Amino acid sequence: MLELFTYDFMQRSLLAAALVGALCSTIGVFVVLRGLAFVGAGTAHAAFAGVALGFLMGWPPLLMAMLFGLATVWITGWVEEKGRMKLDVSIGILYTATMALAILFIGLMKTYNAEVYGYLFGSVLAVTSEELRTIAGLSIVVIGSILLFSKELYFIAFDQEMAEASGIPARRIFFLLLTLVALTVVVSLKTVGAILVFAMILIPASTAYQLTHSLSTLTWYSILIGVSCSVGGVLLSSIWDIPSGPAIVLLATLLFFVAVLFSPKRQRRSLAVT
Amino acid sequence: MASQSLPIIHFDHATFGFPGVIALEDISLEIQSGEFVGVIGPNGSGKTTLCRAVLGLMAPLKGGHLRIFDCACDELRCHHRAKIGYLPQKGVVDRNFPVTVLETVMMGRYGALGLFKQPSGRDHKIALDALAHVGMEGHRDSALGHLSGGQQQRVFIARALAQQPQVLLLDEPTTGLDITTQHNVVELVQHLHEELGLTVLLITHDINMIRSRVDRLVLLKTRLYAAGPPADVLKPEILSQVYGKDLVITERDTIIVEDYHHHHH
Repeated sequence: MLELFTYDFMQRSLLAAALVGALCSTIGVFVVLRGLAFVGAGTAHAAFAGVALGFLMGWPPLLMAMLFGLATVWITGWVEEKGRMKLDVSIGILYTATMALAILFIGLMKTYNAEVYGYLFGSVLAVTSEELRTIAGLSIVVIGSILLFSKELYFIAFDQEMAEASGIPARRIFFLLLTLVALTVVVSLKTVGAILVFAMILIPASTAYQLTHSLSTLTWYSILIGVSCSVGGVLLSSIWDIPSGPAIVLLATLLFFVAVLFSPKRQRRSLAVT
Repeated sequence: MASQSLPIIHFDHATFGFPGVIALEDISLEIQSGEFVGVIGPNGSGKTTLCRAVLGLMAPLKGGHLRIFDCACDELRCHHRAKIGYLPQKGVVDRNFPVTVLETVMMGRYGALGLFKQPSGRDHKIALDALAHVGMEGHRDSALGHLSGGQQQRVFIARALAQQPQVLLLDEPTTGLDITTQHNVVELVQHLHEELGLTVLLITHDINMIRSRVDRLVLLKTRLYAAGPPADVLKPEILSQVYGKDLVITERDTIIVEDYHHHHH
């Protein structure tokens, strides 16, 4: 099994998986706490529509994914701020509309394009050096922004109005968070795919949520879980010759249920009942 | 109370709301530094709107003015807001959020620190002092969600104190607490007002709880009906204008408003 690590493609995919795992699980903490889970799902599908349009028109797919992703989160954020519509309704409409666009763009392609489906289902074992550099660059931007604004991000996740009332530029920080969610989704498209990236944002943070009552511990647990599941999933996928995206997500899901079973919060509740 | 000095909060014919929906109309009110002011009024009387306005989250409609720390409220900068320690209504905040007591109180430092600065040892000490002021220093590592309602209120007051505010703004701090805890929380607020010289704006339903503690009462029902020492405001002819037939004043001078009455024996 150790010889796996000597292959260039394997080193690239493990590195890509670790980066994406770290990235998704970090941003996931704020997504879960701020209640933006559905926004993550919607953004992923919008980004995929961007990829499809890119392939159809011969434009750079990742750039198109970013434009579509950013447009979706900004519209969502704007709608929430104006209070015109419930967040789940607006994102639900954008979610399905962008998915319809993606299907339309794929339908308009004259030939079957396997690469497009790579972005839908993820193919971390096929990550090129150039893509790895893009992933690394965007990861630095996202993780750097989170580090720089961590205290504000925690505060708006706790209570946005209270944060604003006590002197945090809360609305701008909220849009920063939405932007970082979109960038994370774009970075992760090639690795876990548009359908499963949402799981990588949601599951590690939710698993960590079961295990602790401290914000900082929660974040570290989430990152640890995200990176281990991504790397573990890639290894499993190459050993058993199964698709990498599902391997990562199913491993994370398994860990989630184990955490729910052994959660100190859950035990506390059952003690309270008896 | 130096009445000749500039007021710390100054409403000047200020109206709040949206066109067609007026929440507060033509409010003129000055609050001096170091005052303890109680804001009372029935449900939907604009108490929370007053609160949001003081926080700079709502600007007055055309024609009126609101100045806070000698700054127009819609030009309030973040460092002004940090000078107002705010306790939101219970239920606004998710009490099961995975956060420890000390992490909650440290958030009070974030606004004052500003962007790009991480909390230092000094901020840590300020947060611990704030916890000591509310008597919760023994719970610093507890999960916020594991505390009782009264203890959580104390932690949120400590969070406000950690901002090192000039003004403490409390939106119905006793709602949902049992009667003993209500008294303890109001007593704590009075103690902080006296010990730290804080200007306190306390919004409440419970007139009897605060009438003997505040310097002034402000009675709201969309308009400002009265403002002054409790004895001047709590007159049957003034109160009945606002509360109508829901109001009962007992022989022992306890004021009971239907829907909000407590059991007095």
